[in-house]
Amino acid sequence: MRNVLLIIRREYLVRVRTKAFIIFTVLMPLFMGGLIFLPEQFMTSGSETRHIVVVSSDPVLAGLVQTELAASRNGGDEDEASVIKKNNKPDFEVSVATAPTEELRHQLIRKIQDGNLDGVAWIDDDAVTTRKCTYYSRNVTDFVESSTVSRALRFALSQRQLSERGFSGAQSKVLLSQVDVDTIHINRSGANKSNGMGAFFLPFLLLLGIYMTVLIYGLYVMRSVMEEKTSRIIEVLLSSVTPMQLMAGKIIGVGAVGLTQIAIWALSGSLLGTGGMAVARQVIGNSMKDAHVSTSVLWLFPVFFVLGYATYACLYAAIGAMVNSDEEAQQMQFPVTLPLILCMVLATAIIRDPNTPLAFWLSMFPLTSPIIMFVRTAVDMPPTWQVSLSIGISLASLYGLVWLTSRIYRVGILMYGKRPTLPEILKWIRYA
Amino acid sequence: MPLTLELDSVTKTYDEFVAVDNLSFNIAEGEVFGLLGPNGAGKTSSIRMMIGIIVPDSGAVRVFGEPLSRKVLDRVGYLPEERGFYKKMKVIENLVFFAQLKGLSVSEATRRAHQWLERLELGRWASSKIEELSKGMQQKVQFVAAVIHDPDFLILDEPFSGLDPASSLVLKDALLDLKMQGKTILFSTHRMDTVERLCDSICLVNQGRSVLLGVLNEIKASYGRSSIQLEYEGELPLLKDPELVASSNDFGNYVELRLTPGADAQRFLQLAMRTATIRRFEMVEPSLEEIFIDTVHSTKSVISHA
Repeated sequence: MRNVLLIIRREYLVRVRTKAFIIFTVLMPLFMGGLIFLPEQFMTSGSETRHIVVVSSDPVLAGLVQTELAASRNGGDEDEASVIKKNNKPDFEVSVATAPTEELRHQLIRKIQDGNLDGVAWIDDDAVTTRKCTYYSRNVTDFVESSTVSRALRFALSQRQLSERGFSGAQSKVLLSQVDVDTIHINRSGANKSNGMGAFFLPFLLLLGIYMTVLIYGLYVMRSVMEEKTSRIIEVLLSSVTPMQLMAGKIIGVGAVGLTQIAIWALSGSLLGTGGMAVARQVIGNSMKDAHVSTSVLWLFPVFFVLGYATYACLYAAIGAMVNSDEEAQQMQFPVTLPLILCMVLATAIIRDPNTPLAFWLSMFPLTSPIIMFVRTAVDMPPTWQVSLSIGISLASLYGLVWLTSRIYRVGILMYGKRPTLPEILKWIRYA
Repeated sequence: MPLTLELDSVTKTYDEFVAVDNLSFNIAEGEVFGLLGPNGAGKTSSIRMMIGIIVPDSGAVRVFGEPLSRKVLDRVGYLPEERGFYKKMKVIENLVFFAQLKGLSVSEATRRAHQWLERLELGRWASSKIEELSKGMQQKVQFVAAVIHDPDFLILDEPFSGLDPASSLVLKDALLDLKMQGKTILFSTHRMDTVERLCDSICLVNQGRSVLLGVLNEIKASYGRSSIQLEYEGELPLLKDPELVASSNDFGNYVELRLTPGADAQRFLQLAMRTATIRRFEMVEPSLEEIFIDTVHSTKSVISHA
């Protein structure tokens, strides 16, 4: 026991004292924030004024489009683009042309090509009935711009039709306004006002957090085993400790580093607390508004981290013991890492609908359960029996895994030379 | 005299390959014992079984009269053939860690580590990282790791490899000191001159089997003074004559040779003087190197005939 403690202590101190640990502790939250923050910043890149010409033989219709586009900058109604901050929407400077000739069309297109004009909204005479317009632009991939234009056109066409049928401007405005739907998230602990994007992002961030920590600390264990094997420290160690003590000490020691890191994140997060969240919302916009995750996640994160980490640490320790070089390690670690990658690939689907049979079975399968079950609890707390069953299966499989991998480890760490074949590994497991 | 180590018909097989084949020998307390043999003879496998890293398929290993256990192993020091340290950790941290695993307290481990480093002229390197040290210095640190817990039984796998003559001398003196204190020491090495000067007994293994075992002086005596050392200038075609010379190791102006049984040394000298100027002629006990080469060759031929 004393030996295990000594090994834990060494593994722990050596890692916590490195620059890598400090850098990772600081960078991880920045990286996470960046994941939300950066795309939105990039969207604002085209926020300079757009010069647009609206062409229609109907000056009233053209005028409506013009007003609508001008208004889009400071309001108008909230829309499918509500994720995007208002101040991210481009400014429009709109002029109107009321003589739609082919000659004008060519002229305007030439202007766009020369860069003197950003876009042309071409409204044919029958557009009110066909509801078809053409928008010429160099920049068709900027969906913010095109969706704003499209919305303005839709609004103008509808309003024109309504006014022809005798509705007043105010009446048609009401008719055309967006319906504001409040999404109320019902779970076992009650109801929370919830915004769809926020409800998606927070579990996704948590998923990313547990995925990264499990993977990174699992790989630390593999590196550590390989270091002892390739530098032959292992021989000196084994003259003092048993392979089991060594493997246990290593996995616990590295895992403790992981828990320390998570604790630092949690602590700094709660210290920054609501103030930090308020700042984050300012920066990120309202996408995190009303994002809500039940408080049980706070203690479930370490629980599922420990389960996931222990499972993968055993597997990675066995791999570290089997291989002799980095190249071999990379080949061997891929199949083991695959279930983890699968979790990430399926993450979106599972967060959207955490109660599908697929989500259920993945949250029971030992290699994916710590991550998937954790995400499910973050989205919508599953029945207690499911959570307990998942943890139970994890613990049982962990027991088997420790037995299996410690046997591979014990023989592997003293084997040098070529990479073992599968039959050889099976033989190692059978060694008493 | 109580026995420090007993190997009793120990066998270890890897798949089809027999690494150690029915090996038996004992080491008495206070003895310096040389475990010799060519590469791949099973030396390292034997040593690993003595410290419980691997378990023999059959046979028994006893240390201090007891079967192997952690408690017994705390009294054993081990210097592995390949040096191994945590390269990013300081010399002193490495030493204290290994000493703690052997049961020492931090303060005691630190004190002894500094003491030993001073003695091996490494005092000013204590706070350097292992990776900053030369190979020879790492070797000496490894030796400190093997002796820091003051073991009664010291197992050294190739302790002198990679050391310059000055460092070898320091290490040899340290070993002699330990021998004087009554420690039991087991060496594994190729360096016959060192073995010859330090060891009381030897075991020569080849292809996993013991081919020569006993007290060094007795072994040498049993070969008799049938060896000739000769310094010469000129040609010695008679070295090729199987009626006179059984085996020879010719360096061009110096030769060590063994006469064919029954051949007369005086007659050999007379014949040699006809073709070369003889500067020195001496009849001696065979050197261990000769015995080594001779025995390994003869066991090889026995095995290949079988």
